Amino acid sequence: MQPRAERLVDEATALALLADGMTIALGEPAPMALVRHIVRRGLRDLTVIASGLHLDLLIAAGCVRKTITYYAGGGFGVPVAPSFRRAAERGEIEVWECEEGILTSGLEAAGKGLPFLPWRGGVGTSLPDLNPDLKPIVDPLRGEQLLAVPAIHPDVALLHAHAADVYGNVQHLGGPGWLDLFLARAATRVVVQVERIVPNEEVRADAWATTIGRADHVLRMPWGAHPYYSRGHYVQDSAFWRDYLAVANAAAESGERAALDAWLDNWCRGPVSHGDYLERVGIKRLLTLHEY
Amino acid sequence: MNTDSKTMPCSVSELLACFLARDLADGEELQVGVALPIPEAAVRLAHLMHGPNMELIFLGARMNVHHLERVPLPAFGWDRRVVRWAESYSDRGHRFEQVKDWHRRVFFVGGIQVDMYGNINLIGVGEDPRRLRFRGPGSVGTPTLTTHVGRYYIVLNSHTPRVLVPKCDYVSAVGWGAGGADARVKLGLPGGGPKYCVTPLCVMDFHEDEKRMRLRSVHPGVSVEQVVQATGFPLLVPDEVPVTMAPSAEELRVLRERVDWVGALR
Repeated sequence: MQPRAERLVDEATALALLADGMTIALGEPAPMALVRHIVRRGLRDLTVIASGLHLDLLIAAGCVRKTITYYAGGGFGVPVAPSFRRAAERGEIEVWECEEGILTSGLEAAGKGLPFLPWRGGVGTSLPDLNPDLKPIVDPLRGEQLLAVPAIHPDVALLHAHAADVYGNVQHLGGPGWLDLFLARAATRVVVQVERIVPNEEVRADAWATTIGRADHVLRMPWGAHPYYSRGHYVQDSAFWRDYLAVANAAAESGERAALDAWLDNWCRGPVSHGDYLERVGIKRLLTLHEY
Repeated sequence: MNTDSKTMPCSVSELLACFLARDLADGEELQVGVALPIPEAAVRLAHLMHGPNMELIFLGARMNVHHLERVPLPAFGWDRRVVRWAESYSDRGHRFEQVKDWHRRVFFVGGIQVDMYGNINLIGVGEDPRRLRFRGPGSVGTPTLTTHVGRYYIVLNSHTPRVLVPKCDYVSAVGWGAGGADARVKLGLPGGGPKYCVTPLCVMDFHEDEKRMRLRSVHPGVSVEQVVQATGFPLLVPDEVPVTMAPSAEELRVLRERVDWVGALR
């Protein structure tokens, strides 16, 4: 008899799933260790389902051809994420215009095996003009105006969570956030990086807490969401994101990329593993990111 | 925004926070999105001044913090320093599962363009959508929220003809569409639509029948002519335009000591 197959993999194995041109969905908080791997490998022509500065970072690194995003604000007083803004204005990336309810409707349709789901938010707006995949329809029962949102099928969902056992049972701490489970249900493959690998007994002790039952791969990536937060573990490293925004903003304004590329080299391309990255960030800095 | 001590005992942002706070009723659900410091302060001020049963929703975290001497700042929606006060996550796995009940909810929204019917553009500016002159941040959840919430407020950081335009290049949230009191009914949008549009110069509401933007009050030291000049569409101006009511000493004290003690609005 073969033993039950383990789904715990190392970074190289997980990343072998990814290829140029794929549709890759990123959870919230983003699995930054895997995002850095994508940059290091130099994947190209990706369709990225993401909203936030990690999307901007992937655009800055030249990995993105198209994005399905509901929000590309910069935060920290920057109204629009700079690399996103520059690339969109120059036509270097395609934006599949949507919003939160439209995105979740499309993901839900994929999970449910439906061609589309109807949604009301966006009726009367420019969204169906800008995104012809969104079709204005008339409800066959009551004649109401709605939008048909086509199923959105990510090839891979990359997520960050609290813990998993080696068999791909994932448990979020403090809830799964708002988007991760939509992505997990819609995607063909699910890869989850976690803060801790726990014994199967620990999962079975509270099976209700399992949020994703059969992830294809799990990876152990403590501090793996840095510079984002990880519920129950650490808070966002806002100063780190401000540093990124400073160099990304300068590059977007001037077209001069040297500082931005140096930043990407230092934090994404340079460290050959997650451990190397954490060493570069430094234990003192990480320890300042405690919960309160 | 500047403090003009000659005409007002506070900054324009503080004035607007107090104005909005007074318009919020106890028991309401107040949802504030990202990057809107004036509404953030307004809902917290209202909560402390007269809203012990208000529910504050910062991104997904729903909280009642009326008992606190100082109300936490939503510096970052999922930060434990804020969400430790949450009693539930309104979006526990699904942000839009219960939009049918959003008539109880009040929302605040900004825009890079707003037209005379309160339609909003967060998408971008420019004729060619593939080569926008200015690419905006995107719609976030505002199309769904503005479709369903009981009422919302448009909060602008600047009042110029570039922001208040005759027609938005793109519409990400429908206010009163092409105008008329039945504009939203015709589209089947169940929510109550925008109530006020507030700017650094004035407060505007919407004419009962036409649903066109109408000057409601000017801030201390601002003239009606100044507002008209700064507005890119013909604004309805009533014969009498009052001055926006200044904050009371107590409102300002609570705002500065218990809400905005870092002085973000000063």
